[in-house]
Amino acid sequence: MYNLLLKELKLGVSPFYFLLPFITGTLMLVPAWLYFVVLLYFCCITIPNLLAGYKSQNDLIFSIMIPVTKKDIIKARVAVIVILELLHIVAAVIYGMISISLYPNLNYFFYKPTIGFWGLCFIMLAIFNIILISMYYKTAYKYGAATVTSIIGAVLFAGGAEWLGIKNSFVFDLFKGASADNMAIQISILIAGIAVFAIFTIIAYNIAIIQFEKVDI
Amino acid sequence: MLAIDVNNLNKKYKNFHLKDVCFQLEKGYIMGFIGTNGAGKTTTLKSILNMIHIDGGEINILGKNFIKHEMELKQEIGYAFGGIDYYTRNKIRQVTNVVKRFYKNWDEEAYFNYLKKFNLDENKKIVELSAGMRVNYNLALALSHGAKLLILDEPTSGLDPVARDNLLDIFQELVEEGEISILFSTHITSDLEKCADYITYINNGQIIKSSEKEEFINTYRLLNGGESQLHEVKDHLISYKINSFGFTGLIHTKDFDPSSNIKSTLPNLEEIMIYFSKKEEQHV
Repeated sequence: MYNLLLKELKLGVSPFYFLLPFITGTLMLVPAWLYFVVLLYFCCITIPNLLAGYKSQNDLIFSIMIPVTKKDIIKARVAVIVILELLHIVAAVIYGMISISLYPNLNYFFYKPTIGFWGLCFIMLAIFNIILISMYYKTAYKYGAATVTSIIGAVLFAGGAEWLGIKNSFVFDLFKGASADNMAIQISILIAGIAVFAIFTIIAYNIAIIQFEKVDI
Repeated sequence: MLAIDVNNLNKKYKNFHLKDVCFQLEKGYIMGFIGTNGAGKTTTLKSILNMIHIDGGEINILGKNFIKHEMELKQEIGYAFGGIDYYTRNKIRQVTNVVKRFYKNWDEEAYFNYLKKFNLDENKKIVELSAGMRVNYNLALALSHGAKLLILDEPTSGLDPVARDNLLDIFQELVEEGEISILFSTHITSDLEKCADYITYINNGQIIKSSEKEEFINTYRLLNGGESQLHEVKDHLISYKINSFGFTGLIHTKDFDPSSNIKSTLPNLEEIMIYFSKKEEQHV
């Protein structure tokens, strides 16, 4: 597994994708912006380019030829996706903290980058992962439909969450009202988000194993 | 000991059926796997390596069931479908540094010896290598991890005659000590005439014959006769061609009466392939 991860990092993933989170993260500095979009750049730029790279470099044949199980191939790939996602979140959190300190008295129409908001971001990426990974491993090389569908899933969640944050008094209160400063509530939302992310990604990984086993190379 | 033992391999597609494929390769020998394009060579090789899910049959490699011992056996097999066509924008050094980590018996010294032998520069990108050099690089990787069996799909196609000849010489060197076995598919029959010990011939998803090379050729006779003589053997011929001098046809040796006046010669592999393919055309 370690060797496979190393293979992904040395051959499969361009170093640019490790730099990208710190570039797209700067968008957190745009005052009161729609901050879900910052992470959606990962879905719209990194993922299709990464998967296209694997396809054009014939990674499938390479991975099948080396003595590793199909399960480990998926595990390494999912690990790479998760590492990149975490990197995007960490970079966005850092820039988010800078953004809050730069504009302390801003009125946020969309979500403010609170701790709870990052929990929502984890849920958005969880939805993205479960659609992407399970669809992609039907063939292990066709990425178009899987990418588009998973992006649509993530955008619908982000749009729905923002809409609720504006229209629903309970959600408004959680993220923009009195509860926004309640650390316990905010951390609970974050932990719940991380839990959903972990569960969905593990489910996606297991679906991918079943799908990939059926694939004829 | 058998390096490869394939029994009753079956795989059904919509328009193609790999039917009851059986053949065996003894350890330390070279087997040529021949057939026309689309005959099922690559499908068979991929089935052997569990890259394709088979519908039935059993495959044993180096005495072990491949599906049950896949990881263990992959350590002892080198295989290639054509030359290396993955991570072609990377340098040889980068690819090797990744690949070698996966093999327990990787021999760095042997690897550098093979690079030297094959004139491969570690700093070259794979895309910069010629077709022959790509095959050689693949061989260098396989041999450096101590592969006992090489399964190669059309390694000679796309190579110039000199590169092909060199590659076949290398194959022969490799099996000399009796430790390494090679199964390679090709439709260039002259390759096999030069270096194969065994021939397995597949046509339209079915094994026509798998045997030692001389025996394989000896199973058939190529007949040349006048048009009037055709009716004597027509029913026994595998297929035939009519020309201005009469006919030329392929027949099983057992079906041919040597006392007849029809001129018979030993066919070459190409002629056997051609007449078997023609048989199908005549039946269509």
